Amino acid sequence: MDQLPGEINQRIKREARVAGISRRKAPSIEVIEQRRMQLWILTVLVVVALAAASALASWAGPESSLGAGQWILRSAVALLGIGFVAYAVEKELHLHRLLRLLTDERVLNAAYSQSLDMNRALSAAGKALNSALELDEVLDAILASASQLLSARSGSVMLLEDDDYLRVVAVRGGHLFRDARVRVGESVAGRVAETRAALLVNGDAVDLGLRDASGDGREDGKEDGSAMSVPLVNRGQLLGVLNVRAAGSVQFDDYDLQTLSLFAEPVAAAIAKAGLYAAEKAHVVELVESDRMKSQFVASVSHELRTPITSIRGAVAATRLVDDSAQRNELLDVIERQSVRLQGMVEEILASARMERESNDAPVMLRKVDLASLVRLAALDAHLAGRPVTVDAPAVCEVRADSEGLRRVVGNLIENAHKYGSIPVTVTLECDAEHVMLSVVDSGPGVPVAERARIFERFYRTDPNGVQPGLGLGLSIVRGVVESSGGSVYVEDAPGGGAAFRVVLHTPVDDRREEAHVN
Amino acid sequence: MSTKYRVLIVDDEPDVLLTLRVILEAAGFEPSLAADGETALRRIDEQPLDVVLLDIMMPVLDGWFVLAELQGRALRPQVIVCSAKTGDADRERALNLGAAAYVTKPYSPDDLIAKIHTVLAQGEAHVTV
Repeated sequence: MDQLPGEINQRIKREARVAGISRRKAPSIEVIEQRRMQLWILTVLVVVALAAASALASWAGPESSLGAGQWILRSAVALLGIGFVAYAVEKELHLHRLLRLLTDERVLNAAYSQSLDMNRALSAAGKALNSALELDEVLDAILASASQLLSARSGSVMLLEDDDYLRVVAVRGGHLFRDARVRVGESVAGRVAETRAALLVNGDAVDLGLRDASGDGREDGKEDGSAMSVPLVNRGQLLGVLNVRAAGSVQFDDYDLQTLSLFAEPVAAAIAKAGLYAAEKAHVVELVESDRMKSQFVASVSHELRTPITSIRGAVAATRLVDDSAQRNELLDVIERQSVRLQGMVEEILASARMERESNDAPVMLRKVDLASLVRLAALDAHLAGRPVTVDAPAVCEVRADSEGLRRVVGNLIENAHKYGSIPVTVTLECDAEHVMLSVVDSGPGVPVAERARIFERFYRTDPNGVQPGLGLGLSIVRGVVESSGGSVYVEDAPGGGAAFRVVLHTPVDDRREEAHVN
Repeated sequence: MSTKYRVLIVDDEPDVLLTLRVILEAAGFEPSLAADGETALRRIDEQPLDVVLLDIMMPVLDGWFVLAELQGRALRPQVIVCSAKTGDADRERALNLGAAAYVTKPYSPDDLIAKIHTVLAQGEAHVTV
């Protein structure tokens, strides 16, 4: 009783007191009925007794001989009868009112109890949802809670995919397949997703296409059943649909639909949270990998810078020790060679840092560059550095690019071909009205398919503990320059074996190209 | 007249081989050269050596392999590892594999000569005791 509003309680007590029901007994419908019965029997008995008394008085003598005493007696009996009937009617009114109050109280009690049960079930479901973080665990908890909450036979969760489809991501009971897809707007689940309004389907579930949507329309030859679909919405965003189907001949009602709709709120929040958790986890994995590559980069830089400095310091010390001029010149060559190597590494690090800054701040200035002459100059430099290259390019081949960056692109690709591939190395330029393709092809083992995307990542090295000198920046610089010029770069197998690095760039808008071909 | 100490320089960087050869000659040693681990092991088999200056990161057979190979031998030269790897783990690994000293690049040529003398002195003390 304590969950009832105090007002109805007070009225019941007051009416019970007035209706003359014992205070020791809690007023119940049965007690009231008993009391009413007693009251009416008593009333009838009193009326009959009074009527009999009155008749007896009349029979005692002729009408004309009625004395004043007899008249007074008959009037008193009539008044007594009227008074008792009035008393009985008044009590009946109170008893009737009490009966209505008690009926109200029973209805309210039942409603409160049902609401309490639902709140308890929702709270338990909420706790179960909160204890899970991984999406699969969350989905299992959702379906387990929904089944318990509504005594459902089967259930499924569908999540929105590409804004046009719902994909089944979790199933409990039923014959539904995971990963089945439903178009938004089609079938019951699809319509629920489109309208964002919960739907209850009784009896003709299959006709309404729920079987297609939730896949569990027919079981043991029965096509009818009771099913509900509610939208899962978090912060105004539709995430998917939750479907449940009743067991056997049980039919869901509006109250069940309301319960499932209430349940859908924490469900949507839990799914959204699981999504955030998954994204956060992926981000952490990415950060750990990035951190590992950066540590490796620092180790590489340390190693790569120390090696030429060792030679330079040794050569300086040795130069002081020798008298022979030829030997002295040889040592000076060592100093020059290693200084250039050191400079190249420092420039590479600076270029990479600058590229990161530029990608964050302002885009680079793109100019018209003659890639053909740039390739020939790069080939000459490579020859001088002991890296022979064959060039196959037209006399002029203009592109729209960052010229300084492009020089580095060609240099890095040629250096790479010698470092990781083997000779002969060929650089080819193919130009049409809109595009230019630069290919650097070597005769080495090629690049494994699994590594073709990763080799362009900053700090990535195919052989982190290997003996090939390098910082893991070269190809990331190539990609950065090419992409900032609006082009693309990729690697594939060369027709005759080896790796073929292809760079595709755009020609300038007012391009006029000579077709003369030099080798 | 005392005989010269024989030192094998093992490094895949030709410029390191060239400069160290000049410096060691000037310091009174008799240097020989190897550009990889395989050549180094062959040289060690061919001729008696007092000290090996061993780089770690080399193609084909690296310095770790050479150290491990030498570890099981009764008669072996003293090995000074000269590497650009600066980690404590690498130093510890080299000493556990029997290296007499670990020098990180870039080193001062004078310090390297001093280290060779120290290692030679330690080796002789070891023999006389």
